[in-house]
Amino acid sequence: MGGVEDETEPSRKRIRLSHEVLRDLANGLSIVGSNPDFSGDLMARSLPIKGDEEIVGSKGVIKRVEFVRIITQALYSLGYENSGARLQEESGVSLQSSVVNLLIQQVLNGKWNESLATLKSIGLLDESIIKSASFLILEQKYFELLDDDKVMDALKTLRMEITPLSINNARVREISWSILFPVKFVHVDSSNFSTTRAKSRAKLLAELQKLLPPHVMIPDRRLEHLVEQALILQRDTCMFHNSEDNVMSLYKDHQCGRDQIPSRTLQVLEAHNDEVWFLQFSHDGKCLASASNDRTTIIWEVDSHGDLSVKHKLSGHQKPVSSMSWSPDDSQILTCGVEENVRRWDASSGECLHVYEKAGYGFVSCAWFPDGKSMCLGVNDKSICMWDLEGKELQCWKGQRILKISDLQVMNDGKQIISTCRESSILLLDVEAKVERLIEEDQAITSFSLSRDNRFLLVNLLNQEIHLWNIEGEVKLVAKYKGHKRTCFLIRSCFGGLEEAFIASGSEDSQVYIWHRGSGELIQALPGHSGVVNCVAWNPANSHMLASASDDHTIRIWGLNDLKMKHKGPANHCNGVHYCNRKTDRGETWL
Amino acid sequence: MGRLYIQNLAGEKIFKCKFCKVDSASHNDIISKDFRGRFGRAYLFRNVVNISLGPSEDRHLTSGLHTVNDIYCSSCQQIMGWRYEKAYEESEKYKEGLYILEKERMLKDGW
Repeated sequence: MGGVEDETEPSRKRIRLSHEVLRDLANGLSIVGSNPDFSGDLMARSLPIKGDEEIVGSKGVIKRVEFVRIITQALYSLGYENSGARLQEESGVSLQSSVVNLLIQQVLNGKWNESLATLKSIGLLDESIIKSASFLILEQKYFELLDDDKVMDALKTLRMEITPLSINNARVREISWSILFPVKFVHVDSSNFSTTRAKSRAKLLAELQKLLPPHVMIPDRRLEHLVEQALILQRDTCMFHNSEDNVMSLYKDHQCGRDQIPSRTLQVLEAHNDEVWFLQFSHDGKCLASASNDRTTIIWEVDSHGDLSVKHKLSGHQKPVSSMSWSPDDSQILTCGVEENVRRWDASSGECLHVYEKAGYGFVSCAWFPDGKSMCLGVNDKSICMWDLEGKELQCWKGQRILKISDLQVMNDGKQIISTCRESSILLLDVEAKVERLIEEDQAITSFSLSRDNRFLLVNLLNQEIHLWNIEGEVKLVAKYKGHKRTCFLIRSCFGGLEEAFIASGSEDSQVYIWHRGSGELIQALPGHSGVVNCVAWNPANSHMLASASDDHTIRIWGLNDLKMKHKGPANHCNGVHYCNRKTDRGETWL
Repeated sequence: MGRLYIQNLAGEKIFKCKFCKVDSASHNDIISKDFRGRFGRAYLFRNVVNISLGPSEDRHLTSGLHTVNDIYCSSCQQIMGWRYEKAYEESEKYKEGLYILEKERMLKDGW
């Protein structure tokens, strides 16, 4: 709409006009929400105008006039009308020019023709704005006439006043249907057809305000909007922001401390007999599944205190379990042996429900489809296939060059399959449209993980870098994270924390690495494991709980540093060693 | 050790680890065939894969003093050769960052 930008010249002129208007009119003028007692207080107008400086604030970017006007607006919207009026008076800066006030009054009172005249007298430079605003006013007039059953008058308005404006002809045609089709025949299914009756006049005012340049009619709640912007910016730059309960205050810039990030081992889970390679929390965060070189998968339960204990140990695979996938409703798990079969288990009973095999081949990856009725499997003949839960093949994509070590994910809408292919690429395959997109790196890709909102992909590379890609529309590299060590093993990373604002990764130096996602800064490197940390998983339901799986056969659960000592009875969890004494913590590396 | 990430090389002539048969280097990456190692003939490569580096050591080789790292196959940990970290004579500087693989430790695939 070509809103007239920041013109200080006209506004200053207008202010001076208002000065005179203020001084000249002895009987109270129509200030929005004016208090009838105001006229008794006119003595105040002879006070000198305080603080005539044009700019306020130390950075020299705030114009005094604008500042006062939005404060006045805030006072009025809070209901402090007396204060609002007084401020206008004291500062000599009027919230709206009297012309605009008049327009507002006329619109609210339904005086359409007068309002059109007032509109023209505001002195807007842009013709198209005047036309669009007139259109809105006349449209309102038209609908109100129809509501009053004054069909002929409405028709006249349509013909003689609206149409000659020659703008938005499509809308003109749309609204002309209203004469033919009274309200009873509202078409529910066509969303463009707003055969609504006249909207409220307040709503019209809101729309006019959006149309007019901001210095003429200040957008509603402008001061609140600016303050919120500042608060949100503070929150976004807060590198450790990981808790909801931090209520932001206006008195102090928001800055969380390091204590919001899990950095202390709360539990060491020892139940596997060999290296633990893969970890994943259930979608509801109540369970954790771990897959190991010892050919078993263990399902752990998170209790109300945040302690984990073994629920089931799933044995049956003859090969090490390389990965697993929780069903969308968390009731079942798929596990995949290294180039072996895929097994489906009931998560609450621990029973193996089905073993899937493909004669002569082995599976390399597995993932559920969001409907929970079919699954996607990577095969070591370089193809991807889709099977139903009975084991019947529904679809197959050959020639995808799937590697023997590859990850597989299905997006939440069930429309796209993501898999590693060709060593340094990731394939994003649209199932129905049969469209392929590729993320191409110049280094080998060892693993990847998908964000919960499915908009981003975190890719682990051979050269010790982790790349963040935006996969909406055109794939785009967004950020890089460095610091951890990887030379020969498959190390995994994940998203996590409040709104997935953090990236965590395992490392060959036995530490867990945590970066702030937005800034790319390394926040923590947590020692504790005595072997390569292969995989990390952040609890989606608890932004303070992080789990890590290592070659030292254990899984560590990390939590906040200042967690109060909880009542732990005699260790009835024989598989979890509890760190009861804070003093046993070794000094952690603060980076 | 954790879940090994094994790289696969593209190309026709590939050198593989004699013991576990994972790819080590490609014939295209040979810089020179004129070297001798512990076990006899050795080749100088610009790039190798599936290799773990040992610690840096100073060693007196026939070509002079060098700082080297022994390299091991990351899959089976057998020693395959070494990597030149630093050379102390100007004429030997070209070897820095390059790898020696001993012919005796490899098998040839593709020819």
